[in-house]
Amino acid sequence: METNLIVEGFKFMGLGMGTVFVFLIIMILVMQSMAKIIDRFFPEPQAADIPAAKKDNKTIIAAITAAIKHHREG
Amino acid sequence: MKNIVLKFLALFMLFTFTNVMANEHATTSAQTVSTHQEETYKSKSFSQMITGFLKSTGVVALIHPRPDELSATGKPMSDFSKGLGRIIMILITFLLFWLAIAKGFEPLLLLPIAFGGFLANIPIADIAGPHGFLGVIYQAGLSNELFPIIIFMGVGAMTDFGPLLSNPKTALLGGAAQFGIFGTLVGAMVLAQMGLVDFTLKQASAISIIGGADGPTSIFIATKLAPELLGAIAVASYSYMAMVPIIQPPIMKALTTEAERKIKMTTLRHVSRLEKLVFPIVVLSLAILVLPESTPLIGAFMFGNFLKESGVVERLNDTLQNALINIVTIFLGLGVGSKLAADQFLVPETLFIMALGIIAFGVGTAAGVLMAKLMNLFPGHKINPLIGSAGVSAVPMAARVSNKVGMEYDRTNMLLMHAMGPNVAGVIGSAVAAGVLISLFQ
Repeated sequence: METNLIVEGFKFMGLGMGTVFVFLIIMILVMQSMAKIIDRFFPEPQAADIPAAKKDNKTIIAAITAAIKHHREG
Repeated sequence: MKNIVLKFLALFMLFTFTNVMANEHATTSAQTVSTHQEETYKSKSFSQMITGFLKSTGVVALIHPRPDELSATGKPMSDFSKGLGRIIMILITFLLFWLAIAKGFEPLLLLPIAFGGFLANIPIADIAGPHGFLGVIYQAGLSNELFPIIIFMGVGAMTDFGPLLSNPKTALLGGAAQFGIFGTLVGAMVLAQMGLVDFTLKQASAISIIGGADGPTSIFIATKLAPELLGAIAVASYSYMAMVPIIQPPIMKALTTEAERKIKMTTLRHVSRLEKLVFPIVVLSLAILVLPESTPLIGAFMFGNFLKESGVVERLNDTLQNALINIVTIFLGLGVGSKLAADQFLVPETLFIMALGIIAFGVGTAAGVLMAKLMNLFPGHKINPLIGSAGVSAVPMAARVSNKVGMEYDRTNMLLMHAMGPNVAGVIGSAVAAGVLISLFQ
């Protein structure tokens, strides 16, 4: 029996594109959940540094305002 | 004082004596060799020597090919591929030199390939044969698919998955572009069914992988499925990769509206180092579970990337990205060039491979752009369809093309980093597609 090559080609295409998409979709889902897990349980130390810096700013601002107040009063 | 001088003289004499003895010994052994040579070497008249030498020149070998000369694979060749064919092939390699040097078409690979092709078409010397140095290089790293794998490690070390991790859904664009591979496979089968060419399914699969726009993957698959077509497939693959900036923009512009080309994408979120470090392991684990056949390529790729992201083996990372990939590129190019011998390259199939290759590129580009338009029909952040074309691997050329076309319509629209996402997903996608093709022939 002679195989119809075109039909074979389409079968390959179906299987191939199917696998590629299934693989990539799983990969996307894994990437999204991975980002959530890492963000939740292992946040970057840098992310922790930034609020600390903001805090410092606040204390500095407080100190400056206190100094200005003291200067005006005195 | 006198004593010392005497001792010195005595020593000197001793040395001279031993030297003379040794020389005498050498001359006697040389005499025996020359008499031995005279036994096998028949004395000829001077005119006979000249005609004998002239017969061994390249000019004569090209005009009157030796009947007993075999091809690199040990098969008898037609007179055409011993004479005129070789001259045509050498001219083709000159054309490749010109493309590489004057036009800047992937010179890093095209030059070694073209020079290898030049060497492979020299008569008599049989450089591409099993004992010639090109043949040895081919045996050492191409027939066993080692060199493309090492190149993949280097590419992995150069790849940054950050843009993909920050916008995961762009990976779908890299998947859609693999349509180029399977669309071409169907195209090759149509040609075969019509009786135009005699491609087997294996050969058609090897050709279609050109659509993945990934040089090492193409070479990997070609050596595995259809080594006889390696030369044409590699040349098509690399020259079309170099032509990405010419092939892609017309297709991208034809399939998008001006408003779509001006879509601005949201800025990418910051990706933590841990995410980048875990990602190669995660993808490799997925590949192990879904398609072990793809793990040689994905494994090597992720190995290189893991070394880079680990941040503790800077020396190895540096070697992978520079020294190793450069050395292997030289050998890979020369090895592929050995397949540019006239008897293997100057066949009608080559023309069909070139034609199918460019169709594969076009279809892949179009599929990526259309996929982006399809994704825009769903709610969520809009995607600029111009980055869809970057789904064909060709890192980072395709992403640069997306960026350039985007800038033509809006100077402030920087698409480069957005396009890198589908670009690296395209590498993974074509490795998966390659794995599927290999698994089908097991």
